[in-house]
Amino acid sequence: MKLYIAKRLLLLLPLLTGITLITFLLTKALPGDPVYGLVGERSSPEIIEKIRKEMGADKGIIRQYAGYVSLLAGGELGRSYYTNRKVSEDILDKFPNTLRLAIGAMILSVPAGIALGLLSALRKDSVTDRLISGVTISFLSVPVFWSGLILMLIASLWLRLVPPSGTGDIRYMILPCVTLALPSLATVARVTRAGVLGVYRMPYVRTARAKGLTKARITALHITRNALIPVITIIGLDFAGYLNGAVLTETIFGWDGIGRFTMEGIMKRDYPVIMGCIITGTTVFVLVNIIMDIAYHVVDPRVRLHAKDR
Amino acid sequence: MSRYPLYVILSISLIICLFSCSPKNRIDGCIHYRLNANPTTLDPALIVDMPGGLIAAKLFNGLVRLNADLTVIPDIAEKWEIRESGTAYIFHLRKGVLFSNNREVNADDIKYSFKRVLDRSGMSPNAWVLNKIQGARDFASGKTADVSGIVVKDRHTVILRLDEPFSPFLNLLTMTAAYVVPREEVERWGADFGTHPAGTGPFVLTEWKHNSRLVLARNPHYFDGSAGSAGLVFRIIPEDLTAVTEFELGNLDVVNLPAGEYSRYRNSAKWKPYVASVSGLNTYYLGLNCSRRPFSDKKLRQAVASAIDRKKILDTFYEGRGRLARGPVPDIIRSWDDLSAVDYDPGKAERIIKEQGASRMRVNLYISADQEIVDIAEIIQSYLKKAGLDVTIQQLEWSAYKEALNRGEADMFWISWWADYPDPENFLFPLFHSSNHGASGNRTRYSNREVDRLIEAGQRTMDPVIRKRSYERAEQIIVEESPWVSFWHKTEYTVRQPSLKNYRTYPIYSMDKGMDVY
Repeated sequence: MKLYIAKRLLLLLPLLTGITLITFLLTKALPGDPVYGLVGERSSPEIIEKIRKEMGADKGIIRQYAGYVSLLAGGELGRSYYTNRKVSEDILDKFPNTLRLAIGAMILSVPAGIALGLLSALRKDSVTDRLISGVTISFLSVPVFWSGLILMLIASLWLRLVPPSGTGDIRYMILPCVTLALPSLATVARVTRAGVLGVYRMPYVRTARAKGLTKARITALHITRNALIPVITIIGLDFAGYLNGAVLTETIFGWDGIGRFTMEGIMKRDYPVIMGCIITGTTVFVLVNIIMDIAYHVVDPRVRLHAKDR
Repeated sequence: MSRYPLYVILSISLIICLFSCSPKNRIDGCIHYRLNANPTTLDPALIVDMPGGLIAAKLFNGLVRLNADLTVIPDIAEKWEIRESGTAYIFHLRKGVLFSNNREVNADDIKYSFKRVLDRSGMSPNAWVLNKIQGARDFASGKTADVSGIVVKDRHTVILRLDEPFSPFLNLLTMTAAYVVPREEVERWGADFGTHPAGTGPFVLTEWKHNSRLVLARNPHYFDGSAGSAGLVFRIIPEDLTAVTEFELGNLDVVNLPAGEYSRYRNSAKWKPYVASVSGLNTYYLGLNCSRRPFSDKKLRQAVASAIDRKKILDTFYEGRGRLARGPVPDIIRSWDDLSAVDYDPGKAERIIKEQGASRMRVNLYISADQEIVDIAEIIQSYLKKAGLDVTIQQLEWSAYKEALNRGEADMFWISWWADYPDPENFLFPLFHSSNHGASGNRTRYSNREVDRLIEAGQRTMDPVIRKRSYERAEQIIVEESPWVSFWHKTEYTVRQPSLKNYRTYPIYSMDKGMDVY
């Protein structure tokens, strides 16, 4: 397993090189110029040229990319054009906030999603099943900017339970975590239901039943465990997605996370911020995927993680 | 059965946890405001954004500042004299003005601060604020090592010499870029001075959690009295509806009313008495690109101006949140009023467009990505369709939009101009002088020698009568030639908590030093 992890981590290097190159070219191809955000509404062409030169934007694109790669090689992500703060420091500031939100959302969505999915599958075609299906479909269909505002209205303004916005302790996490958890919960529930129903018809379940095992034991050991593989994939994708920031949720609830930071960087064409966030996001995705691969192995030992098998 | 106590304990804990939560998010004794974006920097030399300027006004002072009635009054300078036909300004500094590091301000600080803005290595986009000072341009371009026009006469007297008289010069000195900074703190923090600002203002920055909040504490050594509140908190809340919720919960003391909430608060018996308004020093306009066809044709520009019923749009769609513009200069700083504005005349517009052979001509209208602007653009599109022009709306994200405008790609564009200082010159020179095409402000690329001459004449004279006459005539020509269709001057509305005392609003954000409110 160690060899497998080492190999996957080594693969990160060419992957990041490719990602940085593509992102660099794409951001440069976008219309818009960061210099116009820096100079305000009335500035002379000389100042604009001077600032562009300072940013290195007057050089050819290959030289600009080479300059950026040498910066990366020195362990730096550069400074924001706007705030002049180190991008690495900003990411380190904001990432723990995003991580808290992602973990909070997962704590809410995963157990509840699996439980609802199981319940739905075990009571297939009953009223409970239809009710759960209805609820999960509505959670999936409602956009977060709407559900977030409705939750804020109810929990903050009407019930006065939690603050509507800000970055802070658990009180501030409740609304954004619930908002993020709803679609996740729905997906997990639906995938669990489908997985359980698929496994339910397997011969080994029939064998287990024939052996005289209790229904609870069959469900816990033989059905759930085997049905969890696709659920782990969904959890991994959702979690990695949240770690890259939930732009709308973070904006609505004024949460100082990676998503808002990335979005502001894109809007202002703050290239060092965009690049820094993409690099962090890619790394996070790869790491989460490695963890998920290990989880597959734990849940289903048939999945081999030896490097030579890959 | 044995599991029931566990469920009961869990449920009770959850209920206690939820009810022990509180929606309150306040620091006692502080006034809580909202900013919709994180300030990019608090270094006066580099500030170009509204949030930055608004905070910097509380942390720094200039030689002079603006009074509530928009006149220039003393700040760090206790008095000044204007000599040599308006080319020499002698400022006598107050004694005992302290920076937040407890060092007294002296004339050298003025020179240092101004040179810093002009310094070519400093990358200040605000050098234009001070480039009227003698020798400023040479210094900025690296030709000289000093600015000859900034003369430190003694510890408390500084003389600023200009190449030629410039009537709004004192107004320029009220701007953020002309704030005074302590050299030792700038050198100590280097590039990070923008996040560790030190000035002479009524407040000092005690906390800046980026993208979350800024906390300012009262400066006990402020030279001009003590602020009414112990501190100011600026919460960064990007979403309008979230800010309104925070206000309703009492977490914000004052909030700017977003368009969608305007009617609700204005018609609410509870909040109506606490809604305040200020006539903004701004003009919202439809710019027409004069440098290429079809709007290089004056008659077609006039036709566009006649084709749109601006008053109706203002009264209905815009819910009357502004005053109808007769020209580019806002009514509250225009000392002349016999300006003949273009009236709505759809028949005339249609006739001109036909005569000029432009019927069903396709033109583009560039707008930035904002729902309110999209709606306005669609209204304009429908008016111009009736008049005979087919408008294609091109919506761009702000950075791309500004780039397109500065390059002159748009036939028409919707934008606004907000005053840097309360002088008609600020609405004429950057926007219509032919030396300012593109990024310098004149995005319609309008050129008229007579208008150039009149604006320059107004700038160069210290005689208020000649200034008025020059600006009036220039504005009249501009309205006639219609490089812009001036729509309205937006009125800003705020709502405050009933407990907030001495609150007032200002037409320029940097005027509010946060002194009286408590």
